[in-house]
Amino acid sequence: MQEKLSQFHVIILLFMTQSGMVIFTLPRLLAQHFGTNGWLAILIFTAIISINILLISAVYRLGKGKSIFEIMEDAIPKIILVPFYFLIVIFWSLLGCLVAKQYVLVFQMIAFPTMNPMLFKLVFDVLLYFLIIKGIYNISKAAFVFFGAIIWMIVLLIYFFNDFQWSRLTPFIFQDSVFSIRGFLDVYSAFLGFELCLLLIPYSNNKTKLARAALIGNLLVSFNYISLALIAFGFYGHAYLKNLQFPLLSMFAYIQLPFIQGTEILFYAFFMFSIIITSAMYMWGAKEFGRRIFSVNEKIIVSSIILLSLCTSFFPKTIGDTEQWLMHLSYMQSILAIALPLGLILLLFINGKRVRSSD
Amino acid sequence: MINKHKLAGILAALVLVSGCEDSRILETTGFIHSASYDWLPNGNINYAVSVPVANPDIKTSSARLFLQTEAVSGKAARIKLSRHSNLLLVSGQLRTALFGINLAKNDIWTNMDTLMRDPTISEKVKVVIVNGNAGSLLSRNFPAYPRTGKYIDRLIDKEAAGHTIPVTTIYSFARDYYDDGIDPIAPIIKDAGDNIVIDGIALFSHDKYVGKIYAKNAIIFSLLQGDFKQGELSINLSEGKDTNNSIMISAINSSRKLHVKHDNYGQIQVNIQVNATASILEYRGSLELNDNNQIKKLEKEMSEHITQRAEQILQVLQKKKVDSLGLGKHVRNSMTYRAWKQLDWKSKYPDIKIQCSINLKIREHGFI
Repeated sequence: MQEKLSQFHVIILLFMTQSGMVIFTLPRLLAQHFGTNGWLAILIFTAIISINILLISAVYRLGKGKSIFEIMEDAIPKIILVPFYFLIVIFWSLLGCLVAKQYVLVFQMIAFPTMNPMLFKLVFDVLLYFLIIKGIYNISKAAFVFFGAIIWMIVLLIYFFNDFQWSRLTPFIFQDSVFSIRGFLDVYSAFLGFELCLLLIPYSNNKTKLARAALIGNLLVSFNYISLALIAFGFYGHAYLKNLQFPLLSMFAYIQLPFIQGTEILFYAFFMFSIIITSAMYMWGAKEFGRRIFSVNEKIIVSSIILLSLCTSFFPKTIGDTEQWLMHLSYMQSILAIALPLGLILLLFINGKRVRSSD
Repeated sequence: MINKHKLAGILAALVLVSGCEDSRILETTGFIHSASYDWLPNGNINYAVSVPVANPDIKTSSARLFLQTEAVSGKAARIKLSRHSNLLLVSGQLRTALFGINLAKNDIWTNMDTLMRDPTISEKVKVVIVNGNAGSLLSRNFPAYPRTGKYIDRLIDKEAAGHTIPVTTIYSFARDYYDDGIDPIAPIIKDAGDNIVIDGIALFSHDKYVGKIYAKNAIIFSLLQGDFKQGELSINLSEGKDTNNSIMISAINSSRKLHVKHDNYGQIQVNIQVNATASILEYRGSLELNDNNQIKKLEKEMSEHITQRAEQILQVLQKKKVDSLGLGKHVRNSMTYRAWKQLDWKSKYPDIKIQCSINLKIREHGFI
C-alpha cells in the first residue's frame, strides 16, 4: 500500500516551502509598498492565500482525490499537454535553482566575498539531488527535522524588545507609500509555495485533510512573518526599513554575543535548511511534471533538472540580477497559483458534463 | 562507478576546500578597533585607525598600530593606509567610530554610508563625537589607561550605564535620522590632557551638529528622555547663596510620562511628567533628615531645582530647533497622517509649549 502523508507533515512541509529568500527582504518590501504599519498587510495576504487554498481544496473535492495530471489528461489530449508540462518543468526548475543561487550569493556577500559562488551552488545541488530522489515522504521527513533546526530562531526576536518602541510604529496605516501591483506581487511572492500542495493530492488521503493542512501551514507562515515584520517596524521605523537591503540580516547582525561577532553569518547558515526545502519542493514539482512527459528512470529526470538549473544559474551573476529573475518568475508563479486550480476546476466541470452526456 | 562513500568524501572535501579560498590569517590581518574621521577644508577627510597588535615580543597592553591619512572617503583612506602596513586592514572588529566636531558640523551622514553599507561592520559600532580633532585624540597614548580605542569604548560603556550619556550606535543614529519625529544625539568627548573626559551630549539637527548638552546636565536630559534605572546626580542647592547646601543622590529610578494636548487654536502643548526615586549618599546642609517633614521639604526643594534645570534644557533644545527628546513622535502619534504632514514639525517645534514637572522622592538617606 502506498504510504500517505500525515497532516502534520504537510503543514511543516508547506511552511518550509513557503519560507524562502523573501523573508530577508520582506520588512523592506512591506515598508516600500505599504508604508507605515506595512506589517498589517500580511493579514490581507493571508486572507487572499487562504482563498487560493480553498480553490485548491475545491479541485481536491471535485476531482475526488484524482491527481491533477489525471484531471488534465482526462480532458485534454496529451499531445497538447506535453508542451505545457515541459514549460512547467523548466519554469519550476529555474525557480528552485534561483532561490538557491540567491541564497549562495547573499552568503558570498556576507561571508566569503571572493569565493566562487558556483562551487557552493554545486554542493547545494548535489544535496538537492539526494534529497529529491528520495521522494516526497522523505522530503517531508527532512522538512520536519529542518523545521526544528530553524524554528527556534523566532525566540531571537526577544532580543529586540529593548529597542522596540510602539511609538515608532506610528498610528498611521499604509501611508507614505505608493501602492502598485508590482509591489503587491513582490510581497505575495513571500507566500508562494503553498500551491505545490496541488501535487500532493495523490500522496494524501482523507485523514491528511490536505486543504486544512495547507491553511494551517499558511497561518504559521503568516504568524512568523507578522512577528518578524512587527518587530522590524518597531525596531527600525518604516522610513529606515525602506533603505535596508536585507533587514533580517541587519537584525541578525545586531545580535551580538560577548564571545562572538558577526552572528549574522552563523544565523544565516541555519536558513539553508529552509532554502533547501523550498528549492527541493519546486524541483520535485518539476520532476513530477517531467515524469508525465518522459517515461524514464526518475533519477535521470532529477539529474537533468538539476543539471539544467545548474547551467542556468551561471547566468545571473549578481544579487540584483538574481533578484530580478526571481521576481519575474514569482510574478508568473503567482498567476499560475491562481490559474492552475481555476483551470482544473473548469476541466472538472467539462469532464463532469461530458460524463453526464455520455450517460 | 564511484561508490557512495567516495562521492560523499569528494563532496565533503569540496565543501571544506571552498572555505580555503577566502582565508584570513590572523597574524597577517590588522583588525581595526577604532576609526576616526576629521573634516578638512579642501573637502577631503583625515582618516585614522587604531589597530591592536598581537605581538608576543611586545608585552605592554597598549601595543597598537596607529595610522592616518588624508583621502576623499574612509574606504579610500583605508586602501591608502594599507600601503603603509604589512597587515591586511579589515573592519570586522570595528567598535568605535570617532567623528571630529568639524565633520559633525558639516557632513557626518555621507561618512556614515560606508559604516552602514559594509556588511562586515556591525550596526552596534559606537558613534562618538570628539570636541576637537578626533584623529589627534586617537593618536595619543594615555599611559595610565588601556590603549586609546579601548579606553574610549569602555569609558562610553561605563558612563552610559549610569545614564550620563546615551550609547549611540550606527543603528540608533540612522534610526533617529530616518524618523521624522526625533533628531539623533551622540556622546561627545574631549582630550583633557592626561585623560579623556565626557563633554556632554551632541545634538544633531537631522545630520548636522548644532550644539551640546553639558555633561553636568546630561543626567537631567536622560530623565526627560525616558524611563531608566541607575544614575547619580549631585545638586548644589545653595547656588548664588552663602549657605552650604549640597546633596548627592544615587540609584535614581525614573519613569517618564508624556502627554500631548491640542487646544482649540491649534496650539500644541506637551506635558512631561517625571517621577523619580533616589537614595541620598551625601548631604551637606542644615536639615535633619531623620525628620519626615524635613525630608518632604528637601524633596520639594530638589524637585524644583531639577525641574528648573530641565526647563533650561528644553529651552536650549527649542532654541537650537532640535527635537532630541523625540517629542515629535508623540505629537505625530496624536494626529492624523494628513495633519502631521501639513504641520511641518521642524518649524513648529520651537514654538510649542512644553511643560515639565519632575517629582523626586527620597527612598532612603543612608546610615545617618
